[in-house]
This record gives sequence, C-alpha cells and structure tokens, in this order.
Amino acid sequence: MARGAWSARLAQGDRRILFLAVAATVAFPLLWPLNLPIRVSREARAFHAEIEGVEPGRVILLSFDYEPDTMAELDPMSLAVLRHAFRRGVRVLVMTTYAGGVGIAERVLAQAAAENGRTYGTDYAFLGYNPDFSATILRMGESLRGAYPTDHYGHPTGELSLLQGVDRYADIPLVVTISSSALSEYWVIWAGGKYHARIVAGNTAIQAVLIYPFLQTGQLAGMLGGLKGAAEYERLIGRDGAGVRGMDAQSLAHFLIVLFILLGNLGFLLQRRAARAREASP
Amino acid sequence: MSAADLGVVVAALLTLAVFSFLYRDNPFYRFAESLLVGVSAGYYVVHYFDAGVVRKFWVPVVQQGQLWLLPGGVLGLLMLARLHPRGQWISRFAIAFYVAAWSGYLIPSVLQERILRQVAGTFLPAAGTTSVGALLAAVLVLLGVAAILVYFYFSAEHRGLLGAASRVGILFLMVGFGASFGYTVMGRLSLLIGRFQFLLQDLPASLRHISH
Repeated sequence: MARGAWSARLAQGDRRILFLAVAATVAFPLLWPLNLPIRVSREARAFHAEIEGVEPGRVILLSFDYEPDTMAELDPMSLAVLRHAFRRGVRVLVMTTYAGGVGIAERVLAQAAAENGRTYGTDYAFLGYNPDFSATILRMGESLRGAYPTDHYGHPTGELSLLQGVDRYADIPLVVTISSSALSEYWVIWAGGKYHARIVAGNTAIQAVLIYPFLQTGQLAGMLGGLKGAAEYERLIGRDGAGVRGMDAQSLAHFLIVLFILLGNLGFLLQRRAARAREASP
Repeated sequence: MSAADLGVVVAALLTLAVFSFLYRDNPFYRFAESLLVGVSAGYYVVHYFDAGVVRKFWVPVVQQGQLWLLPGGVLGLLMLARLHPRGQWISRFAIAFYVAAWSGYLIPSVLQERILRQVAGTFLPAAGTTSVGALLAAVLVLLGVAAILVYFYFSAEHRGLLGAASRVGILFLMVGFGASFGYTVMGRLSLLIGRFQFLLQDLPASLRHISH
C-alpha cells in the first residue's frame, strides 16, 4: 500500500511543485553563477568563420526573422553577430520579415551601433518590415532598392551611402537570418537556391533540428541553435552576454528535467507492476 | 524616473501576472492575457496598414503615379469582399491569383532545394569524406534514411526483411523525436531563463534608478 501511494505520487504529483522546482533551479545560477564550461560546436565555428571572412567595408544582410516571443533565445545571437560585424568594420544592412520584429531590430541595432560608434546610413541601415516575405526575398535577388524603395525611416534607399554599389545578393557576401520559424529554409530555397547567396542561420532550439540537414548539404554555411548557440558565439567573439549568463541555468534545468522524466517513468512502472500484481492475486 | 524604467516595472508586473496562472487561473492573469491580445492587435493593424497599404500602394500609385501597381491593389481590395456573406465569392479571384503565384515560385524551388539537394546530401558525405568517423556517420545517415523510408512503405506487409528494416526505421525515428524533444525543452527553458534574467537582473537595475 505504501509503495502504491509513493508510486502514484511520483506519477501524478502536484505540477505546481515541479514548477517551483524548475523556477528555483533557473533562478539559483542566475543569482550565483556556476561558470560551467561551454563547448563551442563545429557549426557555430563555421558561422563565426563566415563573418570573420567578410572583408571590412563590405555590406552583409542581417534579417531579424523573429518576434518578441522568442527574443530570449535570439536577441543574444543578433546582438553578438552585430557586435562581431561592427567590431570588424563590416557594414550591416538590417531588415525583418515580421512586423513584430521591427521594434526588436531597432533596439538591438541601436545598442550594437552605439557600443561600436557606428553611423546610420554609412555603417548600417534598417530597411524595416515588408509584407510578404516570399516576394521580398525573391525581389531582393533582382533589386534590393526595388524591394525596399525607402528604409524604415522613409529615406530613399538609393541615397544611402551604405547601398552605393549594393543592390542584389550578388553584391552581398553573406546573408544572415536569425529566425524563429521556417524562414531560414525560405532564405535557403530562394536567396540561396535561386540567387546563390551565401547564408548562415541562427535559429531557436526547436527550429534548429529542422535546419541541420541544410547544413550537411552545404546549403547553409553555418548555424547557431538556441541559447546554446548564442552562448557559443559570445565565447567565440570574446564577449559574454545573456547567452553565456543563461547557460548555467539551462544546464541545471536540463538535469532537473531528466530527473523528472526518470522519476515519472519510475512511478509509472511501479504503478503498472502494482496493477498487474492486483490482477494476478485471487 | 525615466519612461524606460517605468516600462520595465510594468513589464515585470505583467510577467508575474502571467506566471500566476501556474498556480491557478485568476483575474491578474486574465487581465494580462487580454492586454496582450489588445496591444498586439493594435500593433499589427498599424504595421500591416503602413507597410501594405501606405508604403506598397498609396505612395507608389497615388503619389508617384506607378499605375502598373493598380491591379495588385484591386486584387487586395477584392479580398475585403470576404467580410460580406453575399460577396465572399469575389475574394476567390484574389485567392486564386495568390495560390497560383505561390505555387509557381514555391513548387520548383522546394523540389530542387528541399528534395533533390537533400536526396543528394544523403549520399554526398560518403563520397567526399576521408576520416573513418565521418564515413561511419555518412553510412549511418544513409541506413537511417533507407530504414525510415521502408517504415513508411505501406504497399507490402512488414514481415521478414521488410519488417526488420521497418523496426530499424522506428529506432531512427525515435532518436529523431528524442532530439526534437530535447531541443524543444531547451527552447522552452530558454524563454523561462529570459524572463528570469529580466526579473532578477533588469528589474532590480530599474528599481535602483527609480529609487535614486
């Protein structure tokens, strides 16, 4: 009887206790960092090498393909990529395929530009949001100024010094998509497949598993996956940020989740055994 | 007190209101949820109107006289016919155009980049690799793809060799689902970590600014 009650508690315990345990596990390392080691993956190194390989003064395209719901995972990535590019003197053209990405892109861009003393129009520009990502990605292969006649603030793109001599993917050595959805795939399909743009992608953890095949075939030149990918990139550029700060909490919480899975399954097995024993007894 | 600091405090209160749902449903949670829906709707309506109607239609057609864009605007207007029960059929012209255009530029590209390139990618690593580890990984990928394809082959009973290959396919699928689940856990925890970073690091900083 006692064992049955114990196993039932394991299998059907109060969820709120689990929520509290997760909250405590996440909060503890944020308040008292453990500095657990972070191993940098091959795909993150490839991503880093792509930005490192762009000549200073050239213009890369960075698309904020996410909205506030995934900021926690992707903001650290975007910020790290911008810091890396600006530090190297690479100029950045920024856009978003989501209306909800406008405010995010403006905030992250302003922070990275201010830290590195970059000037709008010369070192970076924000094209803003365009409806219909498919038409936008395709049109930019023919004419960037055709897709975006003005930037987000209404300046004609043809007058931006950043865009002198830059009007299509062929003029851009690298396209960076930081995405929470299948947008990375569409960049691969249209910008990469049709216009042969070189692409690297940063994705949410959930999306990353679907993006790996494109890395294997070389359709993507590099990839960052989730907060872990952001932390790896921060380590590669030698500037820790929200990604690295969050990794202790991530690691501890993963241990806790594994423990919950083991306990839940143990409870389930004990309950099943107890039920079988009851059926077998006369 | 700056507007940014005030915004952080309001955001923190709303975050706590949403978290309160984990205990049980309550008015604070419902208020935060309704506020999110309302603010989001307002935000998106303004952005979509500005980006779609003003920048893509009004400015080029009316102000710059690019009349060749007019048919696109008319098709867009036809979509609004869906709002009236008797005029819904009119919107089908616009939908038909949109579906046809999407199919036209999506189907060939997807076939090429997501199917043919991926099929080739299943074999390519084995052809170009020299290290034993990479070769084994390539063989494993090839076996996995073949076994999973057998699992989804329903025109013959899964017995004998076909049954064995199908069971191997299930194993590969389970590994795939496991990886996907692991990444999902990581993603969800990242969102929680983001909120906790906000509550434990950004909020105290704003409160200090306000108190000084």
